[in-house]
Amino acid sequence: MTFGEYIREHREALKSQDRRFSVRQVAQRIGVEPAYLSKIERGDVAPPSEAKIRALAEELGEDPDVLLAMAGKVSSDLQEIIRKRPQLFADLIRQLKSAPDHALLRIARDVRDGDW
Amino acid sequence: MIELMNNQLTFRFPEVHKKAACSIDFQRTLRIPDDNRDYPLPPGLGRFPVEHVDDFADKLPDTWRTHGGVFIPMYQSEALWINFSGDYPCAVKIAAGKINAVSGESWSNGLSADPQDYAVIPDQPWLDGFNVSEDFIRQFVAMPLGEGFSAEEQITGKAEYGGLQIIVYPMKRDVYAEHFERVVEADLDYLEMPMFCRSACASAAPDMGLAPGGLMRQKIYEDEYGLDAWDLDNGFRCFVHLANSEQYQMITGHQPPHKPANARDYAKAGLPWFDYYDDSKALPGSDTLSKLTSVAAKMIGKGNATLSNNDPVQPKVIKIISKANLVRDGEF
Repeated sequence: MTFGEYIREHREALKSQDRRFSVRQVAQRIGVEPAYLSKIERGDVAPPSEAKIRALAEELGEDPDVLLAMAGKVSSDLQEIIRKRPQLFADLIRQLKSAPDHALLRIARDVRDGDW
Repeated sequence: MIELMNNQLTFRFPEVHKKAACSIDFQRTLRIPDDNRDYPLPPGLGRFPVEHVDDFADKLPDTWRTHGGVFIPMYQSEALWINFSGDYPCAVKIAAGKINAVSGESWSNGLSADPQDYAVIPDQPWLDGFNVSEDFIRQFVAMPLGEGFSAEEQITGKAEYGGLQIIVYPMKRDVYAEHFERVVEADLDYLEMPMFCRSACASAAPDMGLAPGGLMRQKIYEDEYGLDAWDLDNGFRCFVHLANSEQYQMITGHQPPHKPANARDYAKAGLPWFDYYDDSKALPGSDTLSKLTSVAAKMIGKGNATLSNNDPVQPKVIKIISKANLVRDGEF
């Protein structure tokens, strides 16, 4: 599924419950022209900027990182993290590319338990 | 593993089940009057900030480094409630100063059925205090450790640990499959499945302990699955230290949240209080905890000044909430 199709499908699902999720109203809330949002949904134009994708994610209750990935982008804060220690993070990500989800969760920062 | 994100602790047990996880946060709230009248549930006023002990290790007492875990800022005589969320059943044991808040017993790892010393998530949406009698708790109120107010000091005579201690055990994989996954295969009405996805001084030391405050109507529910349902080989535990708010700022450089409104002003403004409706069976209170002296009574007994902002209040708006609608937010 493309970025535009995904947005349309989720927006339409919300619209069936609540009319505030029409193209016009969603476009207004995220600060773009309704015609532009329509074109994004149809795939006539490339996905919008990171800021607009984040606004869309918040509006539609979606995960911004997932939407950014669908749009072929990487969040700017992640880019910054990698830029600071490029070798370390590039190596880490490559090594972990095939690890199962539960193994990835294990390397996330744990709250340390001590002696009590 | 336990992960800290957005001031919320998430306990995950991927070895047990990919859905096995529960989250716990600490809600700021009003301190209800400590006057032996019973009060409905006060609102949540947002999460307390939570920090890793290891991030500020050089500024914290040695004992905190030894205990590990996290810390949150609290003002003297500020109240909190513990908010549970997640839809995979988990057994959660909560202690204050290593005194079990449900049974009144001293801390031990593992779970006990007689008396039951834990709560079951998601049946138990929150815990506001010490289990003093069936249907009633005494609110968790932070007091400086060493002044004799905390449950720990009243029961053990020592001011040794303070803070909150939490251990979480997930439901065993096979028990979960039996109770929940088979129900889906049987194509029963999905709405009948439990679906509780959740849409809180000037002491020389930063340590605070939790003392029993005012009386509140809240049940702690009996475990309907039984002790054997819980996977005791896969528990995770966390020590939550309570830092005096002024010292929290010196330790972290972060501004602590402002003091919450007092119950009288909140009630006067006509803002909502809550009653939670669930007819599940409640645990009896703990004899040990029922004998604790509340903060206000202790102050009078010590000949200290009386507890400020402790006048009785008349909640005007009480919203009834249920499993289907667990929102307990207040605005002020």
